[in-house]
Amino acid sequence: MQNITLKSKYDGRISVEAEIITPDNFSGKDAKEIGEMDLFMGNKTVKLKDIFEVSVEGSSENPEDTEIIIKGNTDRIKRIGEGMTSGKIVIEGDVDMHCGAMMRGGKIIVKGDADSWAGREMSGGELLIEGDAKNYIGGAYRGETYGMTGGKITVKGNVGAYLGEKMKDGEIVVEGDADMISGMEMLGGKIIIKGDAIMPGGEMKGGTVIVMGEVTDRMPTFKMDGMEIIEGIEFNRYTGDLSVRRAKGVLYMKG
Amino acid sequence: MSELLIKNGIVYDPLNDICGEKKDIFVRDGKIVEEVKKPEILDVNGLLVLPGGVEGHAHLSGSKVNAGRLMRPEDGRRGLRRKTAITMPESGYSVINVYGEGYRYARMGYTTMVEAAMPILTAIHTHEELRDIPILDKLSMTLFGFNWFVMDYIRKGEMDKLAAYVAWALKISKGYGIKIVNPSGGENWKWGKNVSSIDEPNISFGVSAREILSSLMEVNEILDLPHPIHVHCNRLGQPGNYDIAIDTMKISSGFETKREREPLHVTHIMFSSYGGEKWKDFESKTDEVTKEVNSNKNASIDLGQLMFGDTTTMTADGALEFALCKLTGSKWSNSDTEMETGGGITPQIYSPSMPINAIQWAIGLESALLVKNPYQVWLTTDHPNGAPFTTYPEVISLLMSKDRRKKEIERVNKVVQKRAILSSLDREYGWNEIATITRASQAKAYQLNDKGHIGVGADADIAVFNINPEEVDPSKDYEEVERAFSATKYTIKGGEIVVRDGEIVKVFPGKTLWTNAEFDGYYELIEDDLKDWFSKYYTVSLSNYGVSDVYLTNPEVIKTNPKIGGRIEVPAE
Amino acid sequence: MIIEDVICPFCGSLCDDLTVEVKDNEIAGIENACKLGYSKMMGYEHDRYERPLKRVGDEFKEISYEESIEEAAKILYNAKSPLLYGWASTSCEAIERGIELAVKIGGVIDQTATVCHGPTVLGTQEVGKPSCTLGEVKNRADLVIYWGCNPFHAHPRHAERYSTFTKGYFTKKGRTDRKIVLVDIRKTDTEGICDRFIQIEPGSDYKILTSLIAIVMGKEESIPEEIGGVKKEELLGLAEEMKHANFGMVFFGMGVTMTGPKYKNIAALERLVRELNRHTKFSLMPMRGHYNVAGAGAVFTWRTGFPYAVDFRRGYPYYNPGETTSNDLLTREEVDAMLVVASDPGAHFVNSSVRRMAKIPLIVMDPHPSATSELADLIIPTAISGVEMDGTAYRMDDVPIRFKKLIDSKFKSDFEIIGDIIEKIEKRGVKD
Repeated sequence: MQNITLKSKYDGRISVEAEIITPDNFSGKDAKEIGEMDLFMGNKTVKLKDIFEVSVEGSSENPEDTEIIIKGNTDRIKRIGEGMTSGKIVIEGDVDMHCGAMMRGGKIIVKGDADSWAGREMSGGELLIEGDAKNYIGGAYRGETYGMTGGKITVKGNVGAYLGEKMKDGEIVVEGDADMISGMEMLGGKIIIKGDAIMPGGEMKGGTVIVMGEVTDRMPTFKMDGMEIIEGIEFNRYTGDLSVRRAKGVLYMKG
Repeated sequence: MSELLIKNGIVYDPLNDICGEKKDIFVRDGKIVEEVKKPEILDVNGLLVLPGGVEGHAHLSGSKVNAGRLMRPEDGRRGLRRKTAITMPESGYSVINVYGEGYRYARMGYTTMVEAAMPILTAIHTHEELRDIPILDKLSMTLFGFNWFVMDYIRKGEMDKLAAYVAWALKISKGYGIKIVNPSGGENWKWGKNVSSIDEPNISFGVSAREILSSLMEVNEILDLPHPIHVHCNRLGQPGNYDIAIDTMKISSGFETKREREPLHVTHIMFSSYGGEKWKDFESKTDEVTKEVNSNKNASIDLGQLMFGDTTTMTADGALEFALCKLTGSKWSNSDTEMETGGGITPQIYSPSMPINAIQWAIGLESALLVKNPYQVWLTTDHPNGAPFTTYPEVISLLMSKDRRKKEIERVNKVVQKRAILSSLDREYGWNEIATITRASQAKAYQLNDKGHIGVGADADIAVFNINPEEVDPSKDYEEVERAFSATKYTIKGGEIVVRDGEIVKVFPGKTLWTNAEFDGYYELIEDDLKDWFSKYYTVSLSNYGVSDVYLTNPEVIKTNPKIGGRIEVPAE
Repeated sequence: MIIEDVICPFCGSLCDDLTVEVKDNEIAGIENACKLGYSKMMGYEHDRYERPLKRVGDEFKEISYEESIEEAAKILYNAKSPLLYGWASTSCEAIERGIELAVKIGGVIDQTATVCHGPTVLGTQEVGKPSCTLGEVKNRADLVIYWGCNPFHAHPRHAERYSTFTKGYFTKKGRTDRKIVLVDIRKTDTEGICDRFIQIEPGSDYKILTSLIAIVMGKEESIPEEIGGVKKEELLGLAEEMKHANFGMVFFGMGVTMTGPKYKNIAALERLVRELNRHTKFSLMPMRGHYNVAGAGAVFTWRTGFPYAVDFRRGYPYYNPGETTSNDLLTREEVDAMLVVASDPGAHFVNSSVRRMAKIPLIVMDPHPSATSELADLIIPTAISGVEMDGTAYRMDDVPIRFKKLIDSKFKSDFEIIGDIIEKIEKRGVKD
């Protein structure tokens, strides 16, 4: 087992791009090697040790046995855990955009809030955000065909707009409320929103969205086709979005 | 005075009948010369040396290409490359930014390119992008296939005016030759329709593709244009269209031309060699199509090879792109250009497991393997329609190795063994034939006397590849072949080393070539018509139409000898 | 001297039929221009910055061009996260150099689409843009829909030249050959030229557009009796009209791009037009504001691969609106120096952005004082493109037109100034 602790010294406002921070890249390396890795701040290349104090306990060549704990102010650190395949990252505070983007395995826990595009295009693994999360969680890159294609995202707080945009597979659970059009252009997978939602399911083609709270501004292009009991609660079942060809999306709402 | 001596290379220069000779090449001031005095010496002992590559048909600049880039940021993020001290950053895989286009061709040993489709109304845009494409020399083909003036003069039988209009349009767009896309049918697309044969008159002008093709071929000859009429056939990309390709080629059979090239070129033949009636019984008809090529010395083709992967299709044939979009459900842009032409764009993913795609892939290779005379074939992927041009090295290795093809055939959908004939073809291209279909054929077809060869007097555009053709057996070492053609040891453009060991080491703008076919009184012939239609139907003023020289890098005018009126003496640039 | 076929450097209609009289190097008269174009071109002399100005304490001090360029180069060269913004009202040639500058200094370059038709770009990146040049509309369109736009005021000659009154090859009778519909949240003056007005509730475009798509696809059964303040009957009627037009056209404006889910409105509109092409010929076009905002998008795209908000800080282009867009970067205080060219973000950006602009070194290139130049640390006066400088601009339908230089100017053009700054940067060594 290898435990790596990064303590942020950074309080600048220019974001730092840190896609290098993954168990895959860190496993088997000592504090010095990790400290010498490159991060990007504006148009400058900086060393990881310029931004973080690095300490390492134990050693493992296997990313699976590698855990990275990130402490201190990280609200301007982007792309942590991008593309990671295994191991674990714990971020104790807030985190900037693209956290866990394209992750394929392993686990990320964000104890604070996450900015937009967390879990963008992820295909496996688990992303747990204990605070709120902004827009496009589990979504796609601009113009891309698919968002999230696998894995699980849990947000304990509220989420912004376009949750699970173009999601193809996997699962997203939001314990709070969701802003505009969750499941936008969704193709598959499952989204559960325990709080309220606005215009869920817009242009969805497949997959399932369950809204347990109130829905404001319903899409007019869904057809009600029955009732179902989920976890003891009675839901109306809708299919749509009928403005999309061959649409088989399923949307559960109360009433 | 800069001099260069490329020593001891194994040279293939088909136009000068040099086939694998160990030979020194001398360069002075951008030209190939007989001898040099104090040259920089590049000893390329035993490496393959070819003339600089000539891209004969690709979509690289202008409104349609840019609409493709705009529509596909997800493609843009593939192929990113950082700036260096001398280069600008690159982006894109199938829709590449202008810098990436120039650098990537140069790295592959190409030094000349043809933009295959330029609308006159937006020709400034085409040339602004060409101006930005580094290193390469540039030509662009002006679109005429469903231009209103063209169709109007044809329906009235006014050939002199048609010739005058084409000469004027080439001059005003700074175009090189006549491009024809979905003749007649493109106009119907502006009502959401198409034509189904080359003899069907279109709705608004009542002229057929056959009339447009034969009239423009005649005008091409009258104006003594250097290049054949360059044709994208009707019903392109639809099952059962092979007979249209054959009928189109037949229009040229027996046609007499004074130029030493075919009078008609059918482009991206792969998309026009389809049998079957529906996608369900879709099959290769390469045997029929190439039979026509082999018996008709008046037609040439380029492949439009399809390679598996993600790409972006784009053409002036708007109806085709909408048909594709309906098949795939993918995003789709359309850009009809008033009075002149159209355009459509939609992304495609070609998958080896898809029966249609596997057959399409086979058709391109079959075309190359079945046409006997390599001067009638150019290697293209119709970039980016069949695949990005960066797949050329792989295509070359497939043409040179039956083993590689066999291996691929095993990987792709099995239908390819029944509804295509690729697996039965044993031919393997040699180095000289590869040099022909990537350089010499195009240079001859565009009548670029200083390109595509490295005889004395030619432009010093040279590619040296990191492979010894005497030691490598391309039939077996196909991966070596692919690697070698992906990045040159040296690319020399106009006597300057622009690529060394696969990296860009020098950047400068290339030349822009266009054709001036003016003849006595040509403008007066059409002046009233132009003024009338510009005031009534165009949305730009006649005086604001066209491309001035400020948009051209190092312009070079090709003057012709029209057989109509007297030749106007154009003052030297 | 009379100059004919002059291009108007005001709005995206880029009218190219103006006649300008020049006397003693001054504009003496203009014909054919609308009042917006007229006042811009006639007012070129009014209220100009005469010399470059540098802020010293609370005051501006006059400096030379040479000094101002040196100063600008120094600020931009030293910045870690510079932003180059504007570009919609200058020539493509100047924009090309702007991109070169952004690459060389490792900065972000963005253009005014970011606050107007950026959502149109994003929609197009989802669905594609079925469009055409304005002459197609002039010659063929028998149904024209203005959606969330007000050409009567914003593009005064659009209806006359391209879309409503104009006569074309297949529309010989002009206005009477066409049906004109306005869809908007309130009755505007454009309603006066329309056959029909459909009033919708603010922010309901998305629901109405997706409903229309469903109707065109023959799936109207789930649509409620009223959507966004519009009766279902009315939408059914509109869908029929659209399907039965010979050539339909939708022009849309910021009423659609800047409300509700913004770019998803445009994506839905594009989807609707795509669906209609299964029945007839239909196209759409954004009503672009600044005369060369389309050109800015075009140049950005061919040089970088992306149309706006392009981040070169890491040496290659990175594009992600919402992250690399000016307002997002400024609001997050990520920008540490800014160059504004031919634009007034001080008047159009959100407050949090403007506050940041006031705090960082701000260079403004403009002929005239503006809300932005009030905040500037360095002001470099420029020649007015289209009046004092020639170059290329792109009309709203992406048709490029070369605009003319009408009079000589003592001011340097954007093109020259940015070229000079690049030269200074190069002397300092390109950042790698």
